[in-house]
Amino acid sequence: MKRLAGLCLMAAAALAQATWAPHLEVGGAFPNLVLLGVVAVSWTLGTRSALVWAVIGGLLLDLTASGAVGPHALALLPGAYLVGFWIRNLEHPNALHVALAAGACTLLYSAVLVLTDGLLGTPVPPPSVALELALAAAAYNAVLMPVAFELVRRLLSTFHTPQPT
Amino acid sequence: MEGARAQSRSTRLFLILCAATLLLAMLSQQPWAAGARGVARSALAPAEGAMTSFAHQVERVASVFGDVSSLRAENQRLRAADEQLRRQIVELNAAAKENSALRQALDFEKSSGHRMVAANVIGRGPDGFSRTMQIDRGTTDGVLPGMVVATGAGLLGRVREVGPHAAIVQTLGDPQSRVNVYLSASKLAGTLSGGPTSLQLEIPHTLGVSPGNGEWAITSGVGGSYPRGLVVGEVASVAHRDSSTADQVQVAWVNDPSSTTFVLVITDFQPS
Repeated sequence: MKRLAGLCLMAAAALAQATWAPHLEVGGAFPNLVLLGVVAVSWTLGTRSALVWAVIGGLLLDLTASGAVGPHALALLPGAYLVGFWIRNLEHPNALHVALAAGACTLLYSAVLVLTDGLLGTPVPPPSVALELALAAAAYNAVLMPVAFELVRRLLSTFHTPQPT
Repeated sequence: MEGARAQSRSTRLFLILCAATLLLAMLSQQPWAAGARGVARSALAPAEGAMTSFAHQVERVASVFGDVSSLRAENQRLRAADEQLRRQIVELNAAAKENSALRQALDFEKSSGHRMVAANVIGRGPDGFSRTMQIDRGTTDGVLPGMVVATGAGLLGRVREVGPHAAIVQTLGDPQSRVNVYLSASKLAGTLSGGPTSLQLEIPHTLGVSPGNGEWAITSGVGGSYPRGLVVGEVASVAHRDSSTADQVQVAWVNDPSSTTFVLVITDFQPS
């Protein structure tokens, strides 16, 4: 039930990413809802869950983009892994940490996406344009992350079944 | 100890998934996988179409509320006016706008002399690096990769990938997009490149002639990628430097991809 709900949410995030998110464009950047979801899962459910959801969400994104299937999934993986690794060593996480994690993940995601596209021979934007877009997207995602995190946390607590004592 | 073991398991899973997705990306990019890729994308197209249609409904409702609030502020006497009537007016206005766009598209089709296939925009590229949009027409409708896509206003881009019932269009806003154009008044020619916020045109210096604001940029047909005569945009600003060999021109695109909902695929032009 929990997994099915997760799949539905990730599919909804990917579809919203390809239909609604571009309308929220500011300075050439728009939020990445799937990335926000993956960071939130990494924070709440741990690295392994985040890695699996990163692949599922990334593949759904790949199906809405042009070119090969896989670059978005690959690009989401390092962020999910590193956030999980980082929060393990964090004593008192707060909203600023969550926002920083989203910003760093976005930069990593952008770098891996551009590198993978370059490796696969898909046209990539010039480095200056790519950097400009990646920074704008990182700031955008960082601002939205605390809200997304709270949403995911509440949703997960809805599905959480208390253990018998 | 347990923490280190969990970390090691996560690292192993991470490496396996990285290798698997990279392999998938390399395999799915092969020409023989294009069909399967198109079918997979077409499978997602109905859901995208439904989501886009839902988004339009939400926008329409939001615009109704926006209209209502502004009318209240402007005129106290209209406070008691019937909300449903206003909504109908807004909806009729929206329908009229759509009719006008369709009529413009029809006029464009007639005047251009090209055969075209009309398509709805059902989605957009998920990242900021590639400015693409997905349309609800594919190979079954005669759409093929490389075909030119326009709206009633002018050139929009080109078909990059096609599935049976959907296609992905690379718009002129894509940083990799290039189109050769000439300016309507000065007849100067150059190559226009895409960008996230505006279209950039580079025009080599010519003695005695310089580009001016308000000129139209029109496809020149040079290179054979696009047919000659499609309107691209209007010159918004010109940066001239004597030390440079070319003028940098900013072009205001006639199309706004964020609000484009309906496009025309030119099916009888084959890029060389």
